[in-house]
Amino acid sequence: MFKKLIEESTGKSPWLFHINAGSCNGCDIELVSVLTPRYDAERLGFQLAGSPRHADIVVVTGPITRQSLNRVLRTIEQVPEPRCIVTMGSCPQSGNVFRGSYAIAGPLSKYVHVDVDVAGCTPKPEAVIDGLALAAKILQEKRRAMN
Amino acid sequence: MTTILNALLYLGYILIYPGFLFCFFIGLLLCGIDRKLVARMQKRVGPPILQPFYDFFKLLGKETIIPAAANRTVYLLAPLLGLAALVTIQLMVPVFGFTAFSGMADVIVILYLLLIPALATIMGAAASGSPYAGVGLSREMVTILACELPLLMVLLAIAKSVGNAMGTGLCFSLSEIAAYQSAHGSLLFHPSMIPAALAFLLVIPGETGSHPFDAAEAETEICEGMLAEYSGKPLGVYKLSHAIKLLTMTSLFVALFLGGLGTGIVVLDAVIQVALCTVVTVIMISFVHAITARLRIEQIFKFYWTAVAGLALISLVLAWFGL
Repeated sequence: MFKKLIEESTGKSPWLFHINAGSCNGCDIELVSVLTPRYDAERLGFQLAGSPRHADIVVVTGPITRQSLNRVLRTIEQVPEPRCIVTMGSCPQSGNVFRGSYAIAGPLSKYVHVDVDVAGCTPKPEAVIDGLALAAKILQEKRRAMN
Repeated sequence: MTTILNALLYLGYILIYPGFLFCFFIGLLLCGIDRKLVARMQKRVGPPILQPFYDFFKLLGKETIIPAAANRTVYLLAPLLGLAALVTIQLMVPVFGFTAFSGMADVIVILYLLLIPALATIMGAAASGSPYAGVGLSREMVTILACELPLLMVLLAIAKSVGNAMGTGLCFSLSEIAAYQSAHGSLLFHPSMIPAALAFLLVIPGETGSHPFDAAEAETEICEGMLAEYSGKPLGVYKLSHAIKLLTMTSLFVALFLGGLGTGIVVLDAVIQVALCTVVTVIMISFVHAITARLRIEQIFKFYWTAVAGLALISLVLAWFGL
């Protein structure tokens, strides 16, 4: 009865949870700027959630250091299905300037399925919003597949 | 035959008009208006007005994770208990002349019922076994305690004021308070009741846990506190309860202080009530949210037990001397 409604709503209310996996803080600040009055991602329903249990989209920044790997994976597992994983910046995607370092365990796609990559060092807020909107669409598809 | 019709009528009350369906739509709508207006006040475009509906239905479709350390029964039943208590309050709040259920002393019943949603949240949080929830629930208990004293004094002041005028001493019946107001004008315009009205207005953001009194749900410091472990359907029910609490508190204000503005036609009265509720929400929730930051828990407590309780006390003393 509510199937259609739930599907529609899933794409319209994606809540974000942000994990810093050894990021230089550049991407973290750019992610917050997406929610400021200038870019206002809340008009698309995006909201920062305080707890991974409330989240739909996990945004990972940073090159996944060996110290953070387990914690990142454990946090992602705590997010209820359907969930999307978005990497932000070049670091979690390729390692960026840290590539080849002994301290890096990334890229993230070696360990979990990544839905959207937003490349750039750091990506522009417009690119982040674009990536998140794409993730919201994928979220809706995943919800449809669950039925 | 009449008993069956009566039963159907009451079922309609509970499920449709002042009950569940009405609370669901108007509560979430108030929440949406609030979010939109806060966004506009911060120069943002803001989410669509229907955003709380999307959030609620999305949460219905999410996986429900029950933590291994949680007490399953309490964890899942607590949100429903809170929701049921709020809908029950809504049934007892008069819409000007019309009340679904009324009694001798429904003010006191409402006072107790208002505690249940907060207690249910505390029970659920304690059952979830999360340390963040532990911090959140201790703060929530302090917030309840802080709000309770001014609320009690406001209700006593109203009871005394109306009771004096009716010659019955203390009047704890909401329908009698409504009848008194339709005969003598709204209590808000009685000089001795203005401090009490202000105190009640200040209790509204505290009771609903909105800014600046949201220390118990501080998402940036304690991961939304009591709701930290909740996900999926139970979380959706909590979000719904929070929205309905906006409606309950504001409609209680309208019933207690703005009665007597009704027309006698039930449909029109309902519209007027919702409009007034929206105005109160915008002033006391959205506006206050947009201009304040979060207070620390001891500041909340101090504020309610000095400033707000002081306002309520002025009205109580004035009412006691029959002014």
